[in-house]
Amino acid sequence: MNPIAWVYRKEVREMLRDKRTRGAALFGPIFLMVFFICGFGTIIGGIAKKENQKIHFVKSDNPILASLKKEKMTFIELNTVAEGEKLVKDGKATVVLNFGPVPSKTGGQQTIEAYFDPKSQKAQIVLGGLEKVFGQANKTALIATLKKNRLPESIAEQIKLERKEVKIGEAGAGEFIVGMLPYLIVIWAFYGGFALATDLVAGEKEKITLETLLITPVSRTQIVMGKFLALSTLCLVSALASIFGLILVAVLKLPGSDFMLQGGLGISPTAGLITIIVLLPTVAMFASLLLAFSTYAKNSREAQSYISLASFVVVIPAAFSQLIGLTDAASQGWVNYVPVLNTANNIRNALLGKPDWTGTAITVIVSGAIATVLIGIVVRLFNREEVLTRV
Amino acid sequence: MVVTEGLAKHFKDQKGNIVKAVDGISFEAHPGKIFGLLGCNGAGKTTALRILSTVIRPTAGTATVAGIDVLANPEKVRSQIGFMSTSTALYGRLQAREVIEYFGGLYGLSGRKLKERVDYVVKKLQIEEFADRLCDKLSTGQKQRVNIGRTILHDPPVLFFDEPTAGLDVVLSQTVMEFIEEARDMGKTIVFSTHIMSEVERLCDHVAIIDKGKLHGEGTVEELKAQTGEASLEKAFLKLVEFESNYQRETVAP
Repeated sequence: MNPIAWVYRKEVREMLRDKRTRGAALFGPIFLMVFFICGFGTIIGGIAKKENQKIHFVKSDNPILASLKKEKMTFIELNTVAEGEKLVKDGKATVVLNFGPVPSKTGGQQTIEAYFDPKSQKAQIVLGGLEKVFGQANKTALIATLKKNRLPESIAEQIKLERKEVKIGEAGAGEFIVGMLPYLIVIWAFYGGFALATDLVAGEKEKITLETLLITPVSRTQIVMGKFLALSTLCLVSALASIFGLILVAVLKLPGSDFMLQGGLGISPTAGLITIIVLLPTVAMFASLLLAFSTYAKNSREAQSYISLASFVVVIPAAFSQLIGLTDAASQGWVNYVPVLNTANNIRNALLGKPDWTGTAITVIVSGAIATVLIGIVVRLFNREEVLTRV
Repeated sequence: MVVTEGLAKHFKDQKGNIVKAVDGISFEAHPGKIFGLLGCNGAGKTTALRILSTVIRPTAGTATVAGIDVLANPEKVRSQIGFMSTSTALYGRLQAREVIEYFGGLYGLSGRKLKERVDYVVKKLQIEEFADRLCDKLSTGQKQRVNIGRTILHDPPVLFFDEPTAGLDVVLSQTVMEFIEEARDMGKTIVFSTHIMSEVERLCDHVAIIDKGKLHGEGTVEELKAQTGEASLEKAFLKLVEFESNYQRETVAP
C-alpha cells in the first residue's frame, strides 16, 4: 500500500474513533438540521395557524365582531381598553381589538382599534391575518353594494395584479432550502474539519507522536498528502451530512417539516451533481487552509485560535450567500470569482433549478487554484524544521 | 555504522542569540557495539540524535548512517534506522497491533511480510494479551513494549536510543536494557544517550562525554577513568565536564 494510503487510513481510523470528531463533524450537521427544521417549523408554523391565535376584544355587540368570531381563532372578551393595554404590556395578550361605534349612516366607516406591542413578531403575524380577513370583508361588502346599485363588480378592484409564474429550468427547491442549505453546506464543509485539523499536526507535536512519523522513510510531502486527504474526506462528509439531515426530516415527515419544507424537497439530480462538483475543490481549499494553521501552530490550542480567526473568511461570504437573492448579484459573473460565495451561489442557483454551468466551471477553477496554492504552502511548512520542532 | 565529523547545530533563541546545541562533535559507532552519549540534560544528546535520524539538518559538519549521508539522502537513512525514546508517544486511539502495523507500512513492509513481522514482534515482546487494546488504555510498561516493537519491526541495522529508560521503574528499565543488549548481540549499531552512569557502565562499549554541545572525552569506561585518574565513572564524568561544586569553590576561595 502507498505511504499516502497508510497515513490516510490511520487518520480516518482515528477520527472515526474520536467522539469529539464524530459529534462535531458527522452528527452535528444532522442534529442541527433536524433541530432547526423541527424547532423553527413547529414554532413559526404554530403561530401562523389561526387555531393557535388568540384575539382579545373589548366587550361589544358590533356585528363585525360576530362575523369575525366565525374565524378559527380563539376570542377572549375584556371589559375595558385599559384592561387590554395592561395585558399587552404584561405580554399576556397579543392583539386587543376595540370596536368603535357602528356608523350611523350607510357607507360610513367602521373603525376598529388594534392595541399591540410593536416589537412583538407574533403580533405582526396576527395583525397580518386580521388585515386579510377585514380586507376580504371590505371587498365582499363593496361588491354587495355595487350589485345593489347595478354596477359592475370589477369596480371593487379596478386595478388587479395577476401573478404569472415564468418557469425557468427545472422545478426548484422550496424557499427555506434555497435560502439556508447552500449556507449550511459551506459552513459545515469548514467547521466539520475543525476538530480533526487541530489534532492532525499541532496535536501530534503536542503529544510527541510527530517525531516518530518524521523518522520513517516516508517523504514529508506524502505525510502531508495523507493528512490532507483524510481532512478533505471529513469536510466533505460533514457538508453532505447536513443534506442527509434535511432528507431525513423530509422522509420521516418530522414535526415542523410541513411548514418549513412546503412543496417538498425539490432537489433535482442536476442540483445534487452541481453541489458535489463545486464542493470537491471547496473542501480541498478548506482542508489545506485548516492543515496550514495546524502545521504552523505549536499545539492544539494555538491551532484553535488561528482557525477561529480564519473562520471569518468563510463565514462572511457564506452569510452573504443568504442575502444574494435580494440583489442582482446572484446572476452576475463576478460572484464566481469570490471564494466560498461562489460555491454557495452555484449550489443556490442549482437548487432554484437554474444551473449555471459556466459559473460552476469558474468556481471549480478558482477554488481548485486556491487549494493548490494552500497545499503548496502546507508542504513548504512541513519541510521547515523550525516549524515542525516548534513546541 | 554511524560516523560524524564536526557535526554542529546552532539555533537562534527568542532574543536572537545563537545557541550552539551541538558544536562540532566527531565520533564513530560500530556494528555489534553500543556507543554511549553521556551528558547532563541540555548537553546536546537529543539534538545530535535528531540530526542523525534526519529530523533536523546540521548547521555544519557531516554524518553518515549505515554509509548513507544524512543530508544527501535523508529518506534512505530513515529506512535504515530505528529510534526510540521514552518521550515519544503512541497514537492513543489506535490499538497496539495497529500502531505496529502502521509503522510497518510506513517502513515499506506490506502483505504477508508485514503480517509475519508484526506477528513476530508481537510474540517476541509479549504484546499478544493487549495487542487489541487501544494505546490510551495501556500501562507505561505495555506502551514501552509497543514502542520497542515499532522501533524494531523493519529490522534496521542502526538503532538510536534517546534516554530510553527515563521515567521507567527498575523492572521496566531492565526489560529495555536487555532488549538493547540483545540488539547489540544481533550485530546492530547502537547509539545510546543517557545521563545514568550505571546504564553506561553496564551497556556501553564506547562512551563519549558531551557537555554544552562539545565532546569532552571519549573511550571505554575504563579508559575514561584512567584518563581522569578517578575511581568511578561518575567522578570521571564530573572531572571531564569541569564540574566544580559549591563546597569545593568555598574551600578553595580563602
